[in-house]
Amino acid sequence: MAELALPAERRAAPAGRGLVLAIAGRNLWRNGRRTWLTAGGIAFAIALTVIGMALQHGGYSMQIDAGTSFMAGHLQVQRQDYLDQSRFEQTIGGITELVRRLEQQPGVQSVAPRVEASALVSGDERSFGAQVLGVDLERENRTVRFFSQVARGRPIAGGDEAVIGAALARNLELDLGGELVVLGSGKEGGVAALVLEVVGIFESGIADLDRAMVIAPIETVQQAFGLGDEAHSLTMRIEQAEESAQLAEALNPLLPEGAVARGWQQTLPELHQGIEMDRVSARFFYGLIMVVVTFSVVNTFIMTVFERIREFGMLRAIGMRPGRILWMVQIEAACLWVLGAALGLALSVSVVLLLGFYGIPLGGIEEMAANMFIPERLHPVLSASGLAIGPLLMLAGTQIAALIPSLRIRRLQTVAALRSE
Amino acid sequence: MRPAARSALPFKLLLQLSLRNVLRHKRRNGMLLSAILVAVAAVVVSSALVRGFQRDMLEAAVANLTGHVKILAPGYLDDPNVQQSFQLAEDWRPDLDDAALAGWAPRVRIPAAIMSERSTRGIQLVGIDPAREHISFIGNAALEGEPLSDTSDRRILVGRALAEQLETRLGRRLVIITQGADGRNREAGFRIAGLYDAEGTGLEKTYVFTGLKALQGLLDAEVVTEVSIRLRGEAAPLGLKAALKEFFTGLSVLDWQELEPNSAALFAVADMAIFIMFLIMMSALIFGLVNALATSVMERIRELGLLRTLGMRPGSVVVQVVLESSILMLAGVLAGIAIGALFLYWLADGIDLSRWAQGVEGIGLRGVLIPIPRLADMALIGAMSMALGLVASLYPARRAVKIKPLEALGR
Repeated sequence: MAELALPAERRAAPAGRGLVLAIAGRNLWRNGRRTWLTAGGIAFAIALTVIGMALQHGGYSMQIDAGTSFMAGHLQVQRQDYLDQSRFEQTIGGITELVRRLEQQPGVQSVAPRVEASALVSGDERSFGAQVLGVDLERENRTVRFFSQVARGRPIAGGDEAVIGAALARNLELDLGGELVVLGSGKEGGVAALVLEVVGIFESGIADLDRAMVIAPIETVQQAFGLGDEAHSLTMRIEQAEESAQLAEALNPLLPEGAVARGWQQTLPELHQGIEMDRVSARFFYGLIMVVVTFSVVNTFIMTVFERIREFGMLRAIGMRPGRILWMVQIEAACLWVLGAALGLALSVSVVLLLGFYGIPLGGIEEMAANMFIPERLHPVLSASGLAIGPLLMLAGTQIAALIPSLRIRRLQTVAALRSE
Repeated sequence: MRPAARSALPFKLLLQLSLRNVLRHKRRNGMLLSAILVAVAAVVVSSALVRGFQRDMLEAAVANLTGHVKILAPGYLDDPNVQQSFQLAEDWRPDLDDAALAGWAPRVRIPAAIMSERSTRGIQLVGIDPAREHISFIGNAALEGEPLSDTSDRRILVGRALAEQLETRLGRRLVIITQGADGRNREAGFRIAGLYDAEGTGLEKTYVFTGLKALQGLLDAEVVTEVSIRLRGEAAPLGLKAALKEFFTGLSVLDWQELEPNSAALFAVADMAIFIMFLIMMSALIFGLVNALATSVMERIRELGLLRTLGMRPGSVVVQVVLESSILMLAGVLAGIAIGALFLYWLADGIDLSRWAQGVEGIGLRGVLIPIPRLADMALIGAMSMALGLVASLYPARRAVKIKPLEALGR
């Protein structure tokens, strides 16, 4: 055979990179319908994961923001024993200095001290058990959104003023300007008594708060309940909500003995774990979609390989190595992926950008949303990982899918292949 | 021969043709079958999990002193106190047979302040008939100490978390301050009969229970603030609410969807989620399905051309393609449901969610999620898949009809 006479180096390079690419392109082109349908499947899987992840990303940030800025803040500092027992005397001392020092820490935006007292509150005739919250309003407004909103009247300004829940006001038959008598036990066990003027009424829509919460200036509550420069908790707003656990760790050495800083993942466990559970089930779902699409890519390559048995036999006959042919099929798969990924990314990025611009209305929950400070629209957010994970997994799926049927090329009997239909 | 019998033979022939086409490409159709199988099995399993999630959520919402249907004074929800109450005849019972009714319970539920030597807390004081409370969480809660003996029992049941906050223990006396029917405050000492454990500390910190008659005596009022009715099924029988409304003139009769709107909304969203999951899975599938069917048509251009020349009608060509798609789909759906059911059998003891336990309790779940397979769901998934198979055969069938007999034969 003439081929045997060729110099070794020419036999080693029978088909250049450009040629292989051209053959792959020709094959994809030759069967347009099949190529488009397969690429469409790949594009669908990629678009679904990219859009899904963008929605998750945007949704989680929204939930975290809504959950933390309602009342709990990004970080909280309490004494460990107060967390376990909630006893009134378990306070953190030297609070003015501590707040000032924490506010200077990098990453911390604001710190608000709170005093929390259980008491019996009375109007003219009726009495109820209630939680009296002593707050530094100016700091709270920089930290959370709850205290800035009153349904009627105005927020507390200082002195013996109180804002109370709407249901509590109804139950006590108190209106703006009414007198609220607070009776409780002070730090040393003595009776704590306080008369406050109702200057505002809030309506959060959360029954427990509306029915049993009194908000008053922190100094007033401290004084009445026999507290000095102390508070039960510090609520903090930080720059990076996702890094609250790390920041809590870093702040712990600055805190007095017995006090701990906890991130929102710990203070709002149902929020954190709800998000984690959603993340896991979504991953599972994306995985299944990719498996289903990969099956149809395998199918496409079964067809591709079988209709070209003669062609492969001919290539073998003129000296192309099986590995080289396998490589060619892999290049073809990669080209198919590029087509699918381009389509999928173009589709999903434009959808996400459009939705990100307009937002998705969260129908039906407007009222609840307004009360809970949840924005009315969800804005999906693109992230590098969200853009990369779907396409890369699909690339792996496509290459493997192409490999499965093409493995039989290695066992190809050249003569039989040339004779096959 | 009757006309019906004449058309039966071609159908049998068409079925044979389609079946042969499916079997001719075992590897290709095997892959397609696997894809259908994975998609169907995944949707079957996830729908059973969603059903389990829904049941847990409903249980939590209903056992939480809500019941499926509740009768209240109209102003009670806004201003829960003993003046928003009504009288209930001793011998009243819901007009339902035992097959539908799990139980009912009259209660007085009012806000109160509870005081130990160390601390004061705001709570909900609930007067109950202990014999009737098997329908709510307190009837089944783990208890340290003794349960209440009857409606006249003047002792109290306190949640463990509340007892810790009050720094008190079994057998101690606590002072409760609340408002009587005349609007004046009542103050009385109550001995702790038992400490209960509930799922999640929220309930433990909120509810303190005592005997119904004992509490009525303290308040000077022979009234109740609510009657809670628990059913055996999920949905209230039609007409129950109307009948109750007629009987309790002037009172509010509310079902759990109205009492727990957040749970009801989540419940409805979960229904929707099953459908969306199905739609997405099947959309992923449809690309492969159309591809395989269209290829199968194009491979047979000559054959179909010949059949057309011999007089086969375009309609029969369409039927062939549709049959081919349906055979594939049916096999995939049956296998998918079988695999899904097997998987569910394996999961019958439930999935341990304890890693996320706090989070799932927040949305009304328990630590272990037990899937609930429903025949109706599987049938619906199967039927929707078959419908999708029809949709997928549209394009290939059109291609098949467009084949021109002469051109096809000439190839």
